[in-house]
Amino acid sequence: MALVQEIAVPLIAVNDTTLTIVEMNFSSGQQVRKGDTVITFETSKTTYAVEAEAEGYIEYLCELNKDYEVNDIVVKIFSSVEEVKTTPTKKASINGSAAKKQVAAAKTERQWSGETVFSHKALELIEQKQLNKEVFHGYDFVGKDDVNIYLGLPIETKQVKQKGLAKAHDNQPKVIAVDTAKAAQQKLSSNKKREISYLSDVQAPGLTSTLYTAVEVDNIFVNLNQSLKTLKNSLLPIVIYETGRLLKKYPSLNGYFAGDSIAIFNDVKVGFAIDIEKGLKVLGLEQTNKLTVPEIEERILSLSNDYIDDKLKIEDLSDITFTITDLSGLDVTFFKPLVNMQNSAILGIGAIDTKLQRCTLALTFDHRVTEGKLVGEFLTELKKRIESYRPKGIVPKNVTCFKCLKDLAEDTSGIGFVKCITPQGEEAYICQSCIAGF
Amino acid sequence: MLKIQSEVNHKTIKEALRIRKVEEKFLELFSLGKLNGTVHTCVGQEFSAIAFAGQLKKKDFIFSNHRCHGHYIAFTGDVRGLLAELLGKATGTCGGIGSSQHLCHNNFYSNGIQGGIVPVAAGYALGNKLKDNGAIGVVFIGDGTLGEGALYETMNIISKWEIPLMIVCENNFYAQSTPQNVNLAGDINARAEAFGIKAFKGDTWDPSLLMSKAQEAINYVREESKPAFFLVETYRLNAHSKGDDDRDEEEVNNYKDKDFLNVFRKESPSYYQIYNDAIDVEINDFVEQIMREHETDFNDYHENNQTVSSNEWQPVESISKRQVELLNEFFKDKIANDERTVFIGEDILSPYGGAFKVAKDLSFIKPDRVFSTPISEAAISGISNGLALNGFKPFAEIMFGDFITLAFDQIVNHASKFHHMFNKKVNCPVVIRTPMGARRGYGPTHSQTLDKFLIGIDNVKTLSLNTLLDPKIVYEQVFKEEHPVLVLENKVDYGKKIAQNIPANFKCEKNADEYPVVRIKPAVSEPTLTIVAWGGMSEFVISCLESIFLETDLKPELIVPILISDLPVDLVLSSVEETGRLVIIEEGSQYGGIGGELLASLAEKSEVAFKVKRIAAHPVPIPAVKSLENIVIPDKIRIIKEIKESFI
Repeated sequence: MALVQEIAVPLIAVNDTTLTIVEMNFSSGQQVRKGDTVITFETSKTTYAVEAEAEGYIEYLCELNKDYEVNDIVVKIFSSVEEVKTTPTKKASINGSAAKKQVAAAKTERQWSGETVFSHKALELIEQKQLNKEVFHGYDFVGKDDVNIYLGLPIETKQVKQKGLAKAHDNQPKVIAVDTAKAAQQKLSSNKKREISYLSDVQAPGLTSTLYTAVEVDNIFVNLNQSLKTLKNSLLPIVIYETGRLLKKYPSLNGYFAGDSIAIFNDVKVGFAIDIEKGLKVLGLEQTNKLTVPEIEERILSLSNDYIDDKLKIEDLSDITFTITDLSGLDVTFFKPLVNMQNSAILGIGAIDTKLQRCTLALTFDHRVTEGKLVGEFLTELKKRIESYRPKGIVPKNVTCFKCLKDLAEDTSGIGFVKCITPQGEEAYICQSCIAGF
Repeated sequence: MLKIQSEVNHKTIKEALRIRKVEEKFLELFSLGKLNGTVHTCVGQEFSAIAFAGQLKKKDFIFSNHRCHGHYIAFTGDVRGLLAELLGKATGTCGGIGSSQHLCHNNFYSNGIQGGIVPVAAGYALGNKLKDNGAIGVVFIGDGTLGEGALYETMNIISKWEIPLMIVCENNFYAQSTPQNVNLAGDINARAEAFGIKAFKGDTWDPSLLMSKAQEAINYVREESKPAFFLVETYRLNAHSKGDDDRDEEEVNNYKDKDFLNVFRKESPSYYQIYNDAIDVEINDFVEQIMREHETDFNDYHENNQTVSSNEWQPVESISKRQVELLNEFFKDKIANDERTVFIGEDILSPYGGAFKVAKDLSFIKPDRVFSTPISEAAISGISNGLALNGFKPFAEIMFGDFITLAFDQIVNHASKFHHMFNKKVNCPVVIRTPMGARRGYGPTHSQTLDKFLIGIDNVKTLSLNTLLDPKIVYEQVFKEEHPVLVLENKVDYGKKIAQNIPANFKCEKNADEYPVVRIKPAVSEPTLTIVAWGGMSEFVISCLESIFLETDLKPELIVPILISDLPVDLVLSSVEETGRLVIIEEGSQYGGIGGELLASLAEKSEVAFKVKRIAAHPVPIPAVKSLENIVIPDKIRIIKEIKESFI
């Protein structure tokens, strides 16, 4: 019988004296295990999830979508279930600016000794979920949301659309009931929800189209790798480099649909998508069209490190004018990327087909902003520019240093291999390092 | 003409001259811009004032009209108070609030509404008769007032009920600027005689004869305890008000020559001069003093009291008696045990006991306090106002709510205004009750809910009775009120028992206000929809509460105010701040309705946004045919549909 853990509203950013609760993964009285995410806060910039430190029974002292002040205790975890519900729910901070006074969360005390009245919608849901109505013993009225709360599902009807106070999620998807007997239900994280809303913006109207082109890449890294320090054998830096420059020529791909007009960005800030267990993010390179390839490589590396270390700044993530998504690291050769909010196009880089020595570039664009012919021209020009990095003349196939087994494409000396006769008397190639030492 | 001096004593002449000099002073002050507004002088008509107002006893009373200065001076002698009143000073007889047309002092009352004052005077006189104090009253009208219907409603009643009131009609042959022959048909005295009222006649050119005839009429009214009508022919030598005189100059000059005071001036110049100079000194001294005085402070006139609703709630107790039985019990108790109680209305005598039986047996218990009236809503409400001014607690019944429009002048221009326009010297604790509401198939003129027209009347409390509170307790509070109260009852509710239909799983509570607000909310869970309804509509909405929940998935809290002239805005607001949804359901039509007033007040106070829906009667007369009546008045299907469309 003990209080195992208390979770207070954390101070994450100096300016955020109140935080919004955006996820409550359990309901009071449920058992949680160590490591379970139990609550997620949202600041003006980011979200912050807190995990249970030990196994126990959770009690929430807060309500979803309400604001709480820093240091308010919002969650308690007890060692036994009897200890739960000893404290009344904390009223949301009235100083919170966004949701100053939203509707009371559906909190039905189980004090009623009379019969329970179920709304039509509640009965439908109960039947659908094959629940026993007895679980609502002690309720006076059971509406659909009472059932949702019981099932740990999001509340539907509680939120009154408040003009001027509503959050910017206008395209809330219709909630479809999940038959838990047939499918396990996992709540959407707030990150995922944000991602959906970002992608819905352009994709939802359905007016996008994707063009594909195959880029010949045989021996391309023979030259490219000479200018790359770390990202050897990656097309990303050169694709960013050439795209950055081309976008100045094709401004409609560097803008977005604005309702009754088209917005064209003044600057070019190409972003690249990244997703290494910290959620899908697009990181932008300021003034992309003015960067050199080595500078681009360096920016990619430093942004990726900041992403991993949670040190991204708001400007790294904002005002991105064009997005590139590179799936060449996976064995994906062909895919259709999705255009981000406030962009008119996105470029996808597929994996290199080693047999054919080609790579597919895919460009999805918002047809409300531009059209196929122009995008085709852009894509063709981009393809030609990338292909121009291939070595001139004929590069023999299977040129490998017989000593270190390095092939020509991996060579960084810029000198090339020497044709030689092996001690076994066979004709072969040897690299600069093996013949002359480092 | 020399015989004048011997027949009219000089005291009377001085008194008449004094009236004239005061009014001439008013005209002078008006020209100097010292008077705000206008004055209606009775120059030329002074002896009428002296003959009647001057010959009454102190216990008698006067109701007068816009041309009232002469009557006032003749009856009260209060020249200083009158001067100060018209000069707008705090020492004026009504603190400068009423000025020329609205005076009140020692049983003297005047009002600027033509004809409306007559039933009030009748009520006041009826009060004297009930008190059996030997006092009578005079109400002055002009020949122009002969066009007003309230006058004839009252003549009928005072004759029938033998009320000791004399109507003095000062016939100066003009209604403002219109000559009498343009507007008046028939004979004036024949009007009174047709009602069986004894009619007298005199004129101001023979003051002596007028005085003696007036005395004769006064004695008749007092001794016989019957009404009388006295036609005084006279002529106003000045304009109706100021600068609105288009009469023939020769005609006016003829009357000037004929005017008694002018004749006296010509015949006895030395006396005239002495009296004139003495009065001048008196008036000028007063004016000099008064000009230095201050005007009434606004805070002394009006105090802004903001009401705060109680937030203490206790369960409502149900009573297994019909509302109409409880109402009847209340009135039986009051009529038997409180001398001040008067019950007045159409068709209320027992055994019939009124159209809805609220007055059942009352006239058996105390016949002299229960007055069944002719079909005369203006007179019913006016007589009630007069009774209220005279210390009674009248309960006037208007048989159907739709008919209250016929009493509207008495509510708005008399009951509402008396207390303030007479600078708080009087209270008018009248109570007017009337049943409203549809769902009985009575059709366009017997079904409408007109509550929205009755909530914005200053100093009048308007209650909309419901079936959740014991009407006896509500009416006990009404009985204590010192100012007018309108009680809107409901025809359908009469047959309902008190708080008997609260649906299961809801709790019904009332707060501790004088007129308690009732709320019906889920027994334990938090509501997600706030509904406001009152009167007959509240009973109907209660019957819809469970269906609203079943079909809309919203848990409703119903708030039922009873005092609809001062809505519990703070209570509604605190509910709406939690639910975020408000629906206001009213039985009257929507535009300019009570819901709009509530929303405006909420919007002024609220710091949060909430969704709102008003549901009201369609803006057409209530049809008698049941199927259409059910559509015009919000019914269950419409209420649920509108809630779904607005909030789901």
